[in-house]
Amino acid sequence: MQHFIGHLARGLSLAGSVAALAFMLGFSHAQAETVAPDELVRKLAAEMTAAVRADPELQTPGSLKISDFVQKNIVPRFDFERVTQIAMGRNWAKANPSEQKQIITEFGRLLTRTYSNAIATLKDLEVEVKSTRVITANVDVTVKTQMIGRPQPVAIDYGLINGPGGWKVYDVTVEGISLVAAYRDEFGGLVSSSGVSGLIEALKKKNGG
Amino acid sequence: MKRFALSLVLLTTLGSGLAIAAPSKKVKAVAPPPPIVEEQEPAPPNDVLEPLNRATFALNDGIDMVIVNPLVTLWNGIMPTFVRTGVGNFFNNLDDVYVGINHVLQGNGSAAGADFQRVAVNTTVGIGGLFDVGAKMGLHKVDGDFGQTLGAWGLPTGPYLILPLIGPSTFRETTGRFARIATDPRSYLDPVPSYSLMGLEYLQTRADGKANEGLIAASSLDRYVFVRNLYLQKRALMVKAAREKTSSAASAN
Repeated sequence: MQHFIGHLARGLSLAGSVAALAFMLGFSHAQAETVAPDELVRKLAAEMTAAVRADPELQTPGSLKISDFVQKNIVPRFDFERVTQIAMGRNWAKANPSEQKQIITEFGRLLTRTYSNAIATLKDLEVEVKSTRVITANVDVTVKTQMIGRPQPVAIDYGLINGPGGWKVYDVTVEGISLVAAYRDEFGGLVSSSGVSGLIEALKKKNGG
Repeated sequence: MKRFALSLVLLTTLGSGLAIAAPSKKVKAVAPPPPIVEEQEPAPPNDVLEPLNRATFALNDGIDMVIVNPLVTLWNGIMPTFVRTGVGNFFNNLDDVYVGINHVLQGNGSAAGADFQRVAVNTTVGIGGLFDVGAKMGLHKVDGDFGQTLGAWGLPTGPYLILPLIGPSTFRETTGRFARIATDPRSYLDPVPSYSLMGLEYLQTRADGKANEGLIAASSLDRYVFVRNLYLQKRALMVKAAREKTSSAASAN
């Protein structure tokens, strides 16, 4: 019986990869349909600026409609798990699975909540996709964009990863400055001074609960 | 038997995969996301003066709350946008002279040319720098200062330092700041116009940064660390860019 389970387990992972392969071969035409990352960024930016311009409620920071809009349109396009792992760096391994889950949730909430308020500024802005740097073909790319409408154009780069849910953003740099890197310093400091639980505590406190 | 078990598992997996995939029209190639490549952990920031810096940081917060923020609110409240933009442009135009000088010192002739062109256009067509006509012509303002030049020349950053009123700096950037003050013609005016002009510039700079300050306060857990990281990242990028230009200019000679 043990013998069988062993085979089953091994077969399962093999089957998994075969299944993935079958999908890739069988549905390669479907893949052509999926949106390329730069196209995705362009489309999302255009849709969002159009939505904000059309709806005065989306121009009022803190409105319920904004958080709803963000939950629907932006959150699904972010890979918070990956963002959190990068922000944690080597401290990620110090957290147990349940702590990891909590950090992902709380950090995702923090990012969503704080940057929701920036949505309103999209009213006067235009996003231009400049170029795409391929890190690993079809897997990991950086889409370089420029935000126009301020006295000076602002360069914003999006790191995207292709996973089961399609392309998702896992890093954002503004004028070459990585926000995730800033969080890594913060998280590192908190973990070394008050441990993983201290970090979770601080995140929860920041989120107001 | 083994083979049967395997194909059974295979079939059920495929079947369930299809069943899940069927409702959505777009079936994507599912590949496991690549593991996160641990970049080498960045070196910890050089902040030997952290206790002192944190104290100055708190002091600056206090000054902000009691003096600067009310002034900025007042300034934003009584001055129409075009006046504030004009004042900002005026000081930017003065600063562009220094940006140009530093680009020369960095051996970046083409950038210096653009800087001085901006000054020329903005001072004349832009009526003494009140209007940023250069930007409308595609000549956007770029960064450049003495601290960056010292960095391009190879001077190390040195410890992080929070200056009273000014905020984040490093030993190198503070040296650059002294060079700037010593060469600023405003320093040689009578004290009243000198301090008024510098105070006005300070106020305008702070008013410009208000939105970002709010965003940083809202998004950070330990604002001191967050600000330190963003500042050091920005300075490192500026110096790296300048260094690349300097070395390419040197190799061209």
